[in-house]
Amino acid sequence: MRQLRAWLLRLGGLFNKERRDRELADELESHLQMHVEDNLHRGMTQEEARRQALVQLGGLEQAKELYRERWGLPRLETIWQDVRFGLRLLRKSPSFTAVAVLTLALGIGINAGIFQIFNGLALRPLNLPGSGRVLTLYQTFHLNQGPMHRSVYGSGNLFSYYEYKEYRDQNHVFSGLLSYAPFVEVTLDGERHRQLLGTLASCNYFEVLDVRPVLGRTFVESDCAQSDRGAVVVLSDEMWRNTFAADPAVIGKAVTLNRVPLTIIGVAPRGFAGTEVVPSAFWAPLSIQPSLYSGRELQGDMLADDELSWLQLMGRVRGDFSNAQVLADVKVIAARLDRRHPGFDSKISVATSTLFVRPEEHYLMVGGGAAILLAVGLVLLIACANVASLLLARAATRRREIAIRLATGASRGRLVRQLLTESLLLALLGGALGSLLAFLSFEAVLKFTLSHLPEAFPTLNLSVTPDLRVLAYTLVLTLLTAIAFGLAPAFEASRMDLATQLKDEGAGLQGHQTRGGLLRRSLVGLQIAISMILLLTAGLLLRGLYRAQTLDPGFSLENITAVSTDLANQGYTGGRAVAFRNELIDRVSGLPGVEEVAQASVFPLGSSHHVTQGSIPGHEESQRVELNAVSRNFFATLSIPIVRGRTFSNAEVQTDARALIVTETAARIFWPGEDPVGQRLVLYNRPGNPVYYVVGVAKDAQVSHLGEDHPNYLYIPASADKLEQLHLLVRTTGAGASLKDMRSAVDELDPQLTAKVVRLEDYLEFWRAPARVAAIFSAVLGGLALLLASAGVYGTVSFAVSRRIREIGIRMALGADGQDVMRLVLRQTLRPVLIGATVGIAACAGVSRLLSSFLFGLSSLDPIAFFAVPAFLLAVALLASYLPARRACRVDPMVALRYE
Amino acid sequence: MSDKTEVWQGTLALMILKTLEAMGPLHGYGIARRIEQTSGNLLVVNYGTIYPALLKLEQEGYIDSEWGMSDNNRKAKYYRLTRAGRKHVAKETQDWEQATAILARFLAPGEEHS
Repeated sequence: MRQLRAWLLRLGGLFNKERRDRELADELESHLQMHVEDNLHRGMTQEEARRQALVQLGGLEQAKELYRERWGLPRLETIWQDVRFGLRLLRKSPSFTAVAVLTLALGIGINAGIFQIFNGLALRPLNLPGSGRVLTLYQTFHLNQGPMHRSVYGSGNLFSYYEYKEYRDQNHVFSGLLSYAPFVEVTLDGERHRQLLGTLASCNYFEVLDVRPVLGRTFVESDCAQSDRGAVVVLSDEMWRNTFAADPAVIGKAVTLNRVPLTIIGVAPRGFAGTEVVPSAFWAPLSIQPSLYSGRELQGDMLADDELSWLQLMGRVRGDFSNAQVLADVKVIAARLDRRHPGFDSKISVATSTLFVRPEEHYLMVGGGAAILLAVGLVLLIACANVASLLLARAATRRREIAIRLATGASRGRLVRQLLTESLLLALLGGALGSLLAFLSFEAVLKFTLSHLPEAFPTLNLSVTPDLRVLAYTLVLTLLTAIAFGLAPAFEASRMDLATQLKDEGAGLQGHQTRGGLLRRSLVGLQIAISMILLLTAGLLLRGLYRAQTLDPGFSLENITAVSTDLANQGYTGGRAVAFRNELIDRVSGLPGVEEVAQASVFPLGSSHHVTQGSIPGHEESQRVELNAVSRNFFATLSIPIVRGRTFSNAEVQTDARALIVTETAARIFWPGEDPVGQRLVLYNRPGNPVYYVVGVAKDAQVSHLGEDHPNYLYIPASADKLEQLHLLVRTTGAGASLKDMRSAVDELDPQLTAKVVRLEDYLEFWRAPARVAAIFSAVLGGLALLLASAGVYGTVSFAVSRRIREIGIRMALGADGQDVMRLVLRQTLRPVLIGATVGIAACAGVSRLLSSFLFGLSSLDPIAFFAVPAFLLAVALLASYLPARRACRVDPMVALRYE
Repeated sequence: MSDKTEVWQGTLALMILKTLEAMGPLHGYGIARRIEQTSGNLLVVNYGTIYPALLKLEQEGYIDSEWGMSDNNRKAKYYRLTRAGRKHVAKETQDWEQATAILARFLAPGEEHS
């Protein structure tokens, strides 16, 4: 306490210094007078008395200095001095300051902006009251033996309804534990049907999240007992505005989702769109799930299936339990659940709720985020190298000032501290400017980017406004930046041999320059290496994008139109669905120019896939396979050749036979070296794990993922009872039926039905868009890096030339010609450039495999990118050093010798 | 000089406080002289160090200062013990006595310490 009081007083002492100085002078003067008087009493002379008094005081000035140190905070005062001095220096060389600050602002700004997005996506707790205390539970299964008897809907980390009830009722750590099924796709009835993404939630959902409705109420216990009659729904603010025109009397009205009428009981507040990255349009109780999906094979009564992962669990921690205590408590429940399932070994984890909290998403986000942050970090490093190079150049012109400071007794540490203060000022100015720009503009940039993605990308429930974490990150980054670009030049500048320095100054000879020169050349090498990495990345991504545009996916996309609709959601089940399909195929086939109409359960290159496990009968080991249920003319329609055997027969399609057509890759995986036709395969795609027999082999085609050359892909016959999702693939002649004709064919059958009618070629955009965004992003970064690096090379060479102008003059006076001089200058710069380029190429070759998902099968060591980019970069570096070097050979020896 | 000792680090503050306790309000010069006298002129006080020490004590709130007139009608700054200062002196004195007592037991010749 006393210490603090004293410290505060000392802090205050920084201000009224003059008054205090005067008072101290008075006090010491009176002290001296008294002492002198005493001494006179002892019989000394006046002169001797004063001298003795001064001696015993230990010198008047020293006493004052001692006192002053105690009075204020000397360390703080010197820092303040350094800051003022630094600011004065920066003001005195405005062009240097402007270039350095802008360079740093660019580097720090881009980092701050990217981190802002990353923070919004992966780190920031949800936008809820007390969100730090809301935890997400997830589980991971390890199978000890036997095949897995567990179905997964959405993510393997989710829970079954039975498990949810166990955790909810048995835990001692949550004040409330909720569950919900994310991304529930339904069809909203109306004049025109509409697809919606919503949430099915447990009764306590809004209570646990502490979200209050702006209109009406949220769920009460009796709502959650209803399965269809009297079922209720809470609308999102967005849906309320868009579908109900913000009608204040909306409460009590009905909406029909998947043909189930629901009563609107409330509207959620504006800022709340669920806890997933895709906003939720509505929330309905979990209890309506069976009626919402009645008549479906895969999504029957999900509540009753104890071995189905489909619910996300989130809880609000009671009191002040720590995450570790929560984990310990839920582990007990997990162990009890495991005992019910012999062979199961589940691992439960908890984490503070964020967007992308489920592990596989989280790792993807963190991994991707780290890669992008690394890339922009590299750009900042180039900026640092540039500013460091500028500082070194400046230090060279300040050598005399520094030498004098050292000569008059400044310690090296003190000098380094002062130079670092200057760097820190630059970094802070740059950081402030950069983050200001980033915070102001990034939201707009993000919106712009998202709006340029194809429609298939949903809008995001994402907040990127800067928070404390972003500010802290930016501040730390700024400080690191200051050290990164300031430390080496500061040490370099303060290390000098005084005697030679003061003597040599102005001689302009190169001798004592070598060490600073080495540092500068290393900086050039570093810049080139980093630019090389970024530009190569950009080059590879652009090549990948080009490949995506020109790729042959192994099937025909031209003149194929897809008509897709979700029949089950819109009330077509069983016989009605089959009748509808047959009618629709007939009508579409009758349109002018239509050649073939094929059917598939999975959309080619679509966003959803049907994944299951397959194994050879009698073998334990199973493989992940993708399935598509197709009509017999599917292969002909998409021009996928059947290379062995045959396509399905009519009988096989009509009787839902266990016939199977495998891809070449699948045949190689399951029966290497054998004839696949006639072989048998167990699939876990439906209850009873049916055994299929292979009737044919289709050529590999990238119908699932663009760029995946060797898909383990299987086709089964499109049977009648699988008609939940209907995709018709229509091949037309060049001048055939238009999209509009096909849409009207659907409308004639059922005007309310929603159907997507797209050309397959257009749908490729969905695949190309991420690659395009990545390519543009890396090209911008690479361009920025190139700009900074070439400015760095240019600056270094022109500085070297200006420092050596005298030497060059002497050489020329002695008979060297322009070419000799050019060679001399270029040789010195091009060495670090070449070393940096080599290092950059090697580093990029080492990590470019990480890009493979953007390359669509292109080799990550693509020779074209790896030849063109370095050639381009070296050409730019050569140009950047040639321009100032040319000045060197035009030196007039007479002028040069008189220089300085 | 050889038989005179410099003031040990950290003890000056206690000497100043003790002096003020014994003498009442006093100016810096007076305090310095008094310390020398009390020590039987065995201690040399560098008078210049008295003032930072006084300032530190004042900042810590153990003493107060006020300008006044000396015996010879000279303007001087007088220092005075505060209530916190008094408490502090009592506590420090006790600590110091304990410390010296312990040390004395080690230094006393021929005595077994068990």
